[in-house]
Amino acid sequence: MSKIYGEAETEVRALDNVSFSVKKGEFVLVIGSSGSGKSTLLNMIGLLDRPTEGRVLVDGFDTSDLTDNEISAFRNKKLGFVFQFANLLADLTVLENVLLPSQIQFDSTTNNRAKEILEKVGLKDQLFKRANKISGGQAQRAAIARGLVNNPTIVLADEPTGNLDSVTAKNVIEVMKKMAKDLGQTFIVVTHERAQFGDVDRIITIKDGRAFEGEHSPELEVVA
Amino acid sequence: MDYRLHLAKRMLVNKRGSLIGAVLAVSIGILVINVNFVIFQGIYDAIVRDMSEYRFGDIYVYDEEKSTIEKSDIVLINWFERIPGVEAATPRLEASATAETRILGQQHEKFNVPVLGVDPISDIRTSTIHETVGDGQYVYARNSIVVGESVASDLGGCSRGCSFMSGGETDPTATADVDLGDCQPVRVGDSVKLTITDQWGIDQKKRFVVTGISGTAGGQGFDRSVIIHIDTLRDMLDRSGESRSIMVRLQESVSPHDAKQIKNQFLRAFPNDNLRAETIEESAESTLSGFKSGIAMINLIGYFGMGSSAFAILTIQMMLVNSKTREIGIMRAIGARRKDILIIFIMQGMIIGAMGAGAGTALGLGYTTYAKITNMEFQGSLALEVNYNWQKIGETAFLAFILAMIASIYPSYRATKKQPVEAMRSV
Repeated sequence: MSKIYGEAETEVRALDNVSFSVKKGEFVLVIGSSGSGKSTLLNMIGLLDRPTEGRVLVDGFDTSDLTDNEISAFRNKKLGFVFQFANLLADLTVLENVLLPSQIQFDSTTNNRAKEILEKVGLKDQLFKRANKISGGQAQRAAIARGLVNNPTIVLADEPTGNLDSVTAKNVIEVMKKMAKDLGQTFIVVTHERAQFGDVDRIITIKDGRAFEGEHSPELEVVA
Repeated sequence: MDYRLHLAKRMLVNKRGSLIGAVLAVSIGILVINVNFVIFQGIYDAIVRDMSEYRFGDIYVYDEEKSTIEKSDIVLINWFERIPGVEAATPRLEASATAETRILGQQHEKFNVPVLGVDPISDIRTSTIHETVGDGQYVYARNSIVVGESVASDLGGCSRGCSFMSGGETDPTATADVDLGDCQPVRVGDSVKLTITDQWGIDQKKRFVVTGISGTAGGQGFDRSVIIHIDTLRDMLDRSGESRSIMVRLQESVSPHDAKQIKNQFLRAFPNDNLRAETIEESAESTLSGFKSGIAMINLIGYFGMGSSAFAILTIQMMLVNSKTREIGIMRAIGARRKDILIIFIMQGMIIGAMGAGAGTALGLGYTTYAKITNMEFQGSLALEVNYNWQKIGETAFLAFILAMIASIYPSYRATKKQPVEAMRSV
């Protein structure tokens, strides 16, 4: 897929014929310098934005022709999001934040699952605290729990450690990896802090809007 | 509980300042309308109450063409008093007279006054005008006269130099020798001479003894008239057995609808007598239509105030939406539909509307109760007739609620237009 902003002389190709597939259960790291197109790529996969050309397939399902409501439902059921800033709703408690994706589809059966996940991410004692009363690391772990509660096909994480100190970042990364391993959950994580993540299943490098397989390997263009 | 309602509630509670501001805007609008209603509807109802008590009763009968009813008042009153629900009925006769007083044999004051002739026995069962006699007692004999407070004052020379309100003219020459310092309102036991021109154009003079002074709060009674025995007035006018009107009092349990039925029954019973009958509602309608229009206008101003509070809600809701841009982006990203966002903010409007309507109604009811308990008076004289108009109270609260909800639609719609990625970048 490609994503082009502007027209003619002002045209910017944020993504240029990027094409790759991710296997179920893979922990994929998308790296690249600032402005390389990493977040744009994640927005396309997360259906938060539409590609100018190409398509996104999730579980073999083409998302190109979905209506706005269908996209919302698809995001809710198939995708989990973890953002740079935890982006919890300050008006709700930690548990309420985690339950929100399931409540959006009026599913009231996830209460126990939410509590289990929160226990796994180490927030068992913070369930009923207001989201703005917990630390940055705790908030990010709660955001991971929220991303997992609907048992999505993919969890998309955009710079999840970008706003955390190194110790907290390490802790959050461990949580993500643990979840990936325990739940067999697919993660696509965008970061420019490659070193923090250690060993991962796969790395994709984005440079000038183009995707390359592996780390610092511009010669290896990713092919589906 | 629906998560949208829960979220709407939490968002509002965590923005207490905005919530209080919006709720106050709604409640003040309701309070203004309630206060307007208590005062202006209270004045209207008080005037209607006094009109009914003193002048028109619950049903008022008069001749459509002539100034007097020629049919025997006994026949008419007997007819009414046989009808279930009728408390009493009484004849009344009205005329104009020249009233004069003398002090030390010298003419003191002389001017025209309206004269009301009453049947003392049936009048005290039908009207409460006798209760307005604060000093002395009501008409009881053929030569007794009850003088209105203003007339008593004027006859004592106390209104000289002021505008005369009874419609008569003061004879300036007649009072030339009397010192202004002599101002002394007419009192019980004084004598007043009335000169009335009868139906043949002949002046009939008679001297009366003042038996009482009548004064009413707000001057809705006969403060500017004199009241004498109806038979005396008939004799002076040479209109034996005639009446100007029949005033009918119904029992308290009789509804306005039943009053209308009694009126119609009466008109059917006397089809060839040119009689006209009006219920108090009809009499008030024709007499106070201008006042009623004024109330409608003041209510309209109140509703404009409520409309202004809707604009305040719109502004506050716009601020709330802008302050929650990031949250809107997050919710959209995790799967909330535009409709869900719309519902959350409309629910906020409904919460504001419900709280404002509740608070405004409570304040309005508080004020109404205060006015009722304290017998609130208009300009210190006319006691307001305060009633709980539940329909009006309910309608006002419902309208405020609906306005608050409508005022939330545009901000809510704006909230749905935010794109998740851009919205989440908002700080």
